[in-house]
Amino acid sequence: MAVFLQSLISGILIGGVYALIGIGLTLIFGVMRVINFAHGDILMVGMYLTYIIFTMMGVDPFVSVLITFPLMFLFGGFLQKVFINRILNAVAQNQILLTIGLGLIMSNTVMLIFTSDYKILTTSYSSATLQVGGGVSVSTPLLISFLITAAITAALYWFLLKTDTGQAIRATAQDRDAAQLMGINVKRMSIIAFGLGAALAGTAGALISPTYYIFPQVGGVFTLKAFVITVLGGMGSVVGATLGGVLIGITESMSAVYISSGWKDVVVFVLFLLVLLFKPSGLMGKSRT
Amino acid sequence: MTKTILKAAFGLLVLASLLILPKYVESPYALHMMILLFLSVSQGQSWNILGGYAGQHSVGHAAYFGVGAYATMMLMHTKQIAPWYGVWAGIVIVVVVALAIGSICFRLRGPYFVLASIAVAEILRLSAINLTTLTNGAEGILATELPVFKIGETVITDFLTKVPFYYIGLFLALLTIGVTYWVQHSKLGYYFQAIREDQDAAHSLGIHISVYKNIGLVISAILTSLAGSFYGIYVGFVDPPTVLGLDVSVQIMLICIIGGMGTLWGPVLGSLILVPLSEALRSNMITEGLVKVGLVGADTRVGLFLKENLSHAHVLLYGVLVVLVILFMPDGLMGFVKKLATRRKQEAV
Repeated sequence: MAVFLQSLISGILIGGVYALIGIGLTLIFGVMRVINFAHGDILMVGMYLTYIIFTMMGVDPFVSVLITFPLMFLFGGFLQKVFINRILNAVAQNQILLTIGLGLIMSNTVMLIFTSDYKILTTSYSSATLQVGGGVSVSTPLLISFLITAAITAALYWFLLKTDTGQAIRATAQDRDAAQLMGINVKRMSIIAFGLGAALAGTAGALISPTYYIFPQVGGVFTLKAFVITVLGGMGSVVGATLGGVLIGITESMSAVYISSGWKDVVVFVLFLLVLLFKPSGLMGKSRT
Repeated sequence: MTKTILKAAFGLLVLASLLILPKYVESPYALHMMILLFLSVSQGQSWNILGGYAGQHSVGHAAYFGVGAYATMMLMHTKQIAPWYGVWAGIVIVVVVALAIGSICFRLRGPYFVLASIAVAEILRLSAINLTTLTNGAEGILATELPVFKIGETVITDFLTKVPFYYIGLFLALLTIGVTYWVQHSKLGYYFQAIREDQDAAHSLGIHISVYKNIGLVISAILTSLAGSFYGIYVGFVDPPTVLGLDVSVQIMLICIIGGMGTLWGPVLGSLILVPLSEALRSNMITEGLVKVGLVGADTRVGLFLKENLSHAHVLLYGVLVVLVILFMPDGLMGFVKKLATRRKQEAV
């Protein structure tokens, strides 16, 4: 029972970070109908940013989110304005290829600067754990990152539901043409949406940097995970991505314990294929277009 | 009319010079480059049949490449079965895998199909890492000693030089070009293109969509697996990231995208650009060139930095190329050239 609880809790904690990654991807897809294959690489850029800020200025990775978030927002906005904006009406495969290309540029530029060595960001609490009782312990950095994730997710929900800009973004996602006719600056909403998506991915990168190896190719895994999460939750649904993230976190940690850690990603991909086959609209999705 | 004759004559000339090339060129490096070129042409052309003509943009072709490479290498390594028999085993397995993948992925369209194709290739890659008893896991399979190839008692080749590999590669490249030509000019090719242009319209015209998609996939998968087997025996080593990784799938696609998908010569053109470029980067030729011209001092910080790092940068170049091609010539180089030609014709009129 302790093992079960243990893996459930760590699954939920890591799931929070996954949710952040998934929300970013789903937001971008919702507003622009573009599947961002560079999502994991944006996360990787966030990790390196955190690493630089930590080693050069000694800022704690969790505090540095305050710097990473706006910087990654600008980076995302730049990507949208310069590249993605030009292919909004292109065929789906060209959009996918462009983002794959952008991802390759990011990971390989980082590799040129930092080499492909694994970097480790060691903080005083990197391997600290918190005893919860009943033989269950919680990794401190994971717990902190989960709390930050929860706060950011809550703020994001508030932003999307209550602010004018947030409502404009949702309107754009619902019907781009109608939104434009209603006087919404669709192009600006796209920039904000991609900026937010990138900021969320970058923040997720910052949050996992104390517990994860940092290397230029780390993004690929997260890109794939982000897809699994968003498809599971329903493409374009923020609530779905939140749920999907936590579900994938739990699935991973459960299959690592009960099957083997080598096969846990296989379980996730099989789950993904099953969702694609039997409920392609996902948990929260309405229809697929 | 004269144009067709000229084209045919040019084709024959190229073919003849390719056939006799090893007689006059002995440099193993030059042959190596040609072999890489042939491999790239056959990979690109195989993808082209499914992706270019039938419009099913699989980003999981590493699955077929890897299965072909692994099947041949595993049989050779553990059972001492010669690769020219192992290839057939690879083909049988690949057809089974392709039909399994097809029955799952072809129910999905557009981006969902792309995602599913990636997921399947990733499942195979992770399985190759985890099934250590079968595949030797992450360490990969090393089998460099090829048996002697005999017909009857006559020794055809002992595979000690690169020449036999050159001819196998050439054969493979010609085979894939031939199959593509055949597809392009057969009813099958028209069905494929109808599906690519408008799936629903094709369906309403009575084209059995899933059957033809699966036919395209099987042809494409078999050819890709042949390329994989060839890669395996030529390099003598396979491991999960080099034959089953996502990078492999992306590189296979790139050949077509840069050259122009859905055209017979697109993958050839793409290979002619990609292979020399990435080789030049890998072998530090560009840095040496820059030093020689005098743009960069050999011992300056920039020179040393380039020398150390540029050799790893060929994938960066892929990225830059893809972005440029998608933004400025979405139909690839072939499409770009065609567009220029029609424009010139219009201006002439």
